[in-house]
Amino acid sequence: MRKAVFLLVLLAAVLTSPLFAGGKQESAGTKKAVSAGFDWKAFEGTKIKIMVNKHPWVDIIKPKIAEFEALTGMKVELSIYPEDQFRTKRTVEMVSGTSDVDVFMLMPGNALAQYVQSGWLAPLNGLMKSKQYLWPDYDLNDIYPAALNAGVRGGKNYTVPLLLETSLLAYNKDIFARTGVTVPKTMAELESAAKKIYESSNGNTYGITLRGKKASATSQWVDFLHSFGGEWLDSNGKAAVDSPEAIAATEFYGKLLRLYGPKSAPSNSWYESISIFMQGKAAMVYDASVFKPNYENPEKSAVSGKVGYAIIPKGPAGSIPHVSNWGLTIYSGSKHKEAGWLFIQWATSKAIALQGQLAGIPSARASAWSSPEFKSKDTSPEWTNASIASYKVASPLWNPPVIPVGECRDAMGSAIVASILGQDVKAASREAAKTIDKILANSK
Amino acid sequence: MKNRVRYTFILPALLLMTIIVAFPIIYNLYMSLHIWFVASGSGPHWNGLKNYIALLSDKRFWNSIRVTIVFTVGALGSEVLIGVLLALFFNRQFKGKDIIKTIFLFPIAATPVAVSLIWGMMYNYDLGIINVLLKAIGLPPLLWLADPRWVIPALVITDAWQWTPLILLIVLSNLESLPTDPFESAKVDGANSLQVILYITLPMVKPAIIVAAMIRSIDAIKTFDLIYVMTQGGPNIASENLNLYIFNMGFSYFRMGMASALAIVLFTIVMAVNVFLAVIRNRDVT
Repeated sequence: MRKAVFLLVLLAAVLTSPLFAGGKQESAGTKKAVSAGFDWKAFEGTKIKIMVNKHPWVDIIKPKIAEFEALTGMKVELSIYPEDQFRTKRTVEMVSGTSDVDVFMLMPGNALAQYVQSGWLAPLNGLMKSKQYLWPDYDLNDIYPAALNAGVRGGKNYTVPLLLETSLLAYNKDIFARTGVTVPKTMAELESAAKKIYESSNGNTYGITLRGKKASATSQWVDFLHSFGGEWLDSNGKAAVDSPEAIAATEFYGKLLRLYGPKSAPSNSWYESISIFMQGKAAMVYDASVFKPNYENPEKSAVSGKVGYAIIPKGPAGSIPHVSNWGLTIYSGSKHKEAGWLFIQWATSKAIALQGQLAGIPSARASAWSSPEFKSKDTSPEWTNASIASYKVASPLWNPPVIPVGECRDAMGSAIVASILGQDVKAASREAAKTIDKILANSK
Repeated sequence: MKNRVRYTFILPALLLMTIIVAFPIIYNLYMSLHIWFVASGSGPHWNGLKNYIALLSDKRFWNSIRVTIVFTVGALGSEVLIGVLLALFFNRQFKGKDIIKTIFLFPIAATPVAVSLIWGMMYNYDLGIINVLLKAIGLPPLLWLADPRWVIPALVITDAWQWTPLILLIVLSNLESLPTDPFESAKVDGANSLQVILYITLPMVKPAIIVAAMIRSIDAIKTFDLIYVMTQGGPNIASENLNLYIFNMGFSYFRMGMASALAIVLFTIVMAVNVFLAVIRNRDVT
């Protein structure tokens, strides 16, 4: 089936290429004939620079770049950086004002406020309406409105979502069966499950693994925060991470790791954390839903085929996960905005979205989720159902809606680490709230 | 007249030096007196000395100073001690000396980032070789990079592994070039080998040791790659030294004015340490 899609894309490429229409020599007349449909070759010979971070989606797109180059006659220079370095590099390029990048990845929930305010992004509305440059088969309406709207500021579209992800509790079915543990539905059950597994294995199998490395920990901690009834900021925009609900959430998160988690938790980001789960050393992991392909890859994971998925257990305020999406944006200083737009349309097209969906990357397109091909090939309907259930109740807020997001996450990360290490959570949360208020006061 | 003409020949070099050395320092000093929050898209505005005043009450700043001092003293101390001992050991003829000497110099040639990546894996709690070895000899495994108490010693060990050979190299080459007569007369006077080392060898190589310490201290105070790759300042900020804090302030938080102020503090510390060491050295030479 995958082959069929590939062939279809290839066929499309051939159909639209001037070669098929009678060779390059007759360019003028031929071109018109082809662009009666849509002119993919409008920017033939143009070289565009794309900057992305190391993400499972990029693994899907990277081997297909050659197809895009064949389709359009453009050259694509793809530079890939690890996430932390990517964020830094991207901003430094923007600040310097001399960047020659055309298209880059951006997480609206993380950086859109800053990027729009600084004027680094080109609005996409014109291109989205353009008769000349909007591919008739692109179908904007197929994209989940929640994902598309995440990229809107001041009535203008800035990002096109390439996926819509949430966080899921993944668990090792073998260990659950062995220890007689059932899928936890509440936070209390989550703790007792983790405890039972850890203690019955004499500490050889961790009950759960979560991120514990400072700022990186906040993106899953936030779901505990919301489920316990806490918030990043109160209605006056002041830090609320020292509210009783927030302290309870931070305490709980730290306790899970301290008592039943890997000892190395304070230095674990997502990579280290999911690696522990994939080695079968931890029974549960709560992290982004996009890591399913990692869990299920038999070459890299010892637990493939044994993983179950569930929505975050209920806290005092319910089950409140978050959704987030990576999007593609065009740099406001780009000299190839239209060419970049062609790339974005191709990279977020139905065909690519389905490819991603089949490889386990949750698509931002409804057609991918409902496609018969995906449904028939879905190896873990549990993951699909958990994802859809999560989308329904999820909060779009996973960072404080402010510009110095990184600084606030670092401040809160300190309190999370303190909690993991068994220090005074109340004092650490107060300190974090004070720091966040100071950061916000200094950011006007 | 002739004198003046000769100055014109060094003028291009002088100008170039001014541009690439003096200008960034002065501009940095100037920027440190501004608030410049790049992420907001607004330009710099004057803030007087307030950045420096804010630092005085910034716990993270004092933490970074503490980390810088502890790391530098630990690294420099162990490297000089072990380096000098090794130099004294190698300062004689024995079979295979050249081969062993060459092997000892390998770590200097390795890239710090590669070294940090490998040591980072070796320190891994679950899979690292170091904990495997500790367990094999019956000791409990250590958290190393995830434990605030052990992270600096772990970094010091890695730094010492890489840079002790440099001290060895400098001190040894100095030892090998020492005149032989003081040693002969000491022997005639009946000094034992410990006395020879304490009262003759060490005083004579002291200038070389101080030069080596100077070079290493500058590097150790502004260590970045090692810590960034192995811990990124973690857990939390337990290994965030001044240079890493500057990086975070500038390139994670985009507060360029504050980052410049921190950079001036670092610059001052490096200069002060070097002036101090230079004074010790000159006092001894004259």
